[in-house]
Amino acid sequence: MLNQIASEVKATMGIYEAQEDQVYGVLAEFPHPGALLHAAEAVREAGYRHFDTHSPFPIHGMDKAMGLGNSIVGWITLGGGIAGLALATTLQWWIGEVAYPINISGKPFFAIEPSIPVMFELTVLLAGLSTVAGMFALNGLPRPYNPLFYSTNFLRVTDDAFFLHIAASDKMFKLSNTEKLLKDLGGKNIETIRDKGVED
Amino acid sequence: MSETVKRNNPLFWLIDPLKSTANQADSNYRYSWSQMAWMLPMAIGVAGLVVSAVGWVTDSHSFYFSYLIGWAFCLSIAVGAYFFVIIQHLTKARWSVVIRRIPETLMWSFPLLAILGIPILLGMHDLYHWTHLELFDPASEQYDAVLAGKEAYLNTPFFLVRVAFYFIVWTFISFKLYTLSIRQDNDPDPSIPKLQRKYSAIGLGLGAVVTSFAAFDILMSLDPHWFSTIFGIYFFAGSFMTIMAVMILVSLTLQKNGMLKKEIKVDHYQDLGKFLFGFTVFWAYIAFSQYMLIWYGNLPEETVFFRHRMEHGWETFSAVLLVGHFIFPFIVLLGRWSKRLLPFLGAICVWMIAMQWFDMFWLIKPVMESEHASLGLYDISAWLGLFGVFAAAFMYRFSRHALVPQRDPRLHKSLTFTNS
Repeated sequence: MLNQIASEVKATMGIYEAQEDQVYGVLAEFPHPGALLHAAEAVREAGYRHFDTHSPFPIHGMDKAMGLGNSIVGWITLGGGIAGLALATTLQWWIGEVAYPINISGKPFFAIEPSIPVMFELTVLLAGLSTVAGMFALNGLPRPYNPLFYSTNFLRVTDDAFFLHIAASDKMFKLSNTEKLLKDLGGKNIETIRDKGVED
Repeated sequence: MSETVKRNNPLFWLIDPLKSTANQADSNYRYSWSQMAWMLPMAIGVAGLVVSAVGWVTDSHSFYFSYLIGWAFCLSIAVGAYFFVIIQHLTKARWSVVIRRIPETLMWSFPLLAILGIPILLGMHDLYHWTHLELFDPASEQYDAVLAGKEAYLNTPFFLVRVAFYFIVWTFISFKLYTLSIRQDNDPDPSIPKLQRKYSAIGLGLGAVVTSFAAFDILMSLDPHWFSTIFGIYFFAGSFMTIMAVMILVSLTLQKNGMLKKEIKVDHYQDLGKFLFGFTVFWAYIAFSQYMLIWYGNLPEETVFFRHRMEHGWETFSAVLLVGHFIFPFIVLLGRWSKRLLPFLGAICVWMIAMQWFDMFWLIKPVMESEHASLGLYDISAWLGLFGVFAAAFMYRFSRHALVPQRDPRLHKSLTFTNS
């Protein structure tokens, strides 16, 4: 049960587990961004959920085509911001009022007015850092090992090729059917990717 | 001026410097609403001004302050429109082209505002303490050494020259940008975008100085002992926030009446909403920067401004301003949903426009009676009166031309704009 939840969470980050026979999934190449966008839409409509698209540059409308919805990173940002605000307030109150109460030109030991700049800055700082950290976590990054790297054709993903990958962990996945679907959608160079582990 | 747009009869320049080009507008971009769109605000405006005129007769001192509040509010919308258009041209913005005609039309409010400003000139003796000549006379009992030192700047002739200069700059740049854009509607001249950028570049630098000094002269000098170098930016921040609210509301109203239904999308509203949120925060940032430095310096000639606004009932008004102009909109506009839920966004915009007026009220009214906080009928009537006339002139001018810059080379990018 817990393992299943863990693998589902990992799947949302684009980290899929290989199934029997080390089959990791099917990779297909598409000739241009439009075809990839259309294929992503069709694959989602066919009922697949564990799939990902790879392209050399961001494609407008891809999150919609893949049915990704709105990212929850905003909530992580909010959490970071509130933490920063709380930290700054406590820190300044504790220093000024408790630890080192020093009279400086008759000002109160702790007052909200001069504390706001630090509260603002720490809110922004922690909100920003947690946004970046949250983005990395939600994307499953950094990820130095990916079974897709076993495909030589896939190296062109940073150059001029557009790929769609359907993972074997998907409930709908059936090697022959999935390959046929990708073929029907106009996919070229369809290959089955095997997760051979770390050995080369 | 090319053949494609004709100048209007000079008598009508207050309303529109150009002859109507509504007939040459593409059918999708044609104004199709009844005359009520401008007659209704005009009726409200005239009614408000008539009520205010009663106040002028019965209590002219108080009337001048009420009138200045409403006038400064209208001026802030025009100033916001001025900067919005300029920034769109300078950044070659694509997303905003479809709604740009709204601020372009609002820009041409400066001549009307100049005329509507005449009662303020008549009331200068009531409004501006530094117009009292005895302050500068060492023999007089009212002699004020501080103000006497400022006489070279704060004197009526120089004030009039400066205010005239501000209006000439605003009007000139607005005239250029407004007429170039209308001309482009029917003129394929490819040099127009370049000219728009040129006048925008001039208008940005000049406008920044002019707007800052206008805020110093018209609003800050009401309290002539007090000074704050950030005051111009404070005024700008509120103005820029307000123009976003105005653009959202005008767009919603147009769409509700069957115009630009497909052209303005929820994505445009979301981006305008982001700006609205951003400049609500920016206003608070500037307001607080001013407040904190005065708090920390604790010098009597600076703290007097806040002292007048934190006693005798004014502290309630200050609290309402803080909550209504910053905390409440900050919380509700933070999320994505509120900027895409259009009826809600529209309601927030009405609130923010009211808050901008309240901000002007908070700046101006305590000068008149710092000992006694009050919000009177004439404050509201002068506001509605001036805003009604201002809005009616805008709607009428807006109905005379295409609703979007229909030949702008970036229009198609705006029509297909998405932000998700």
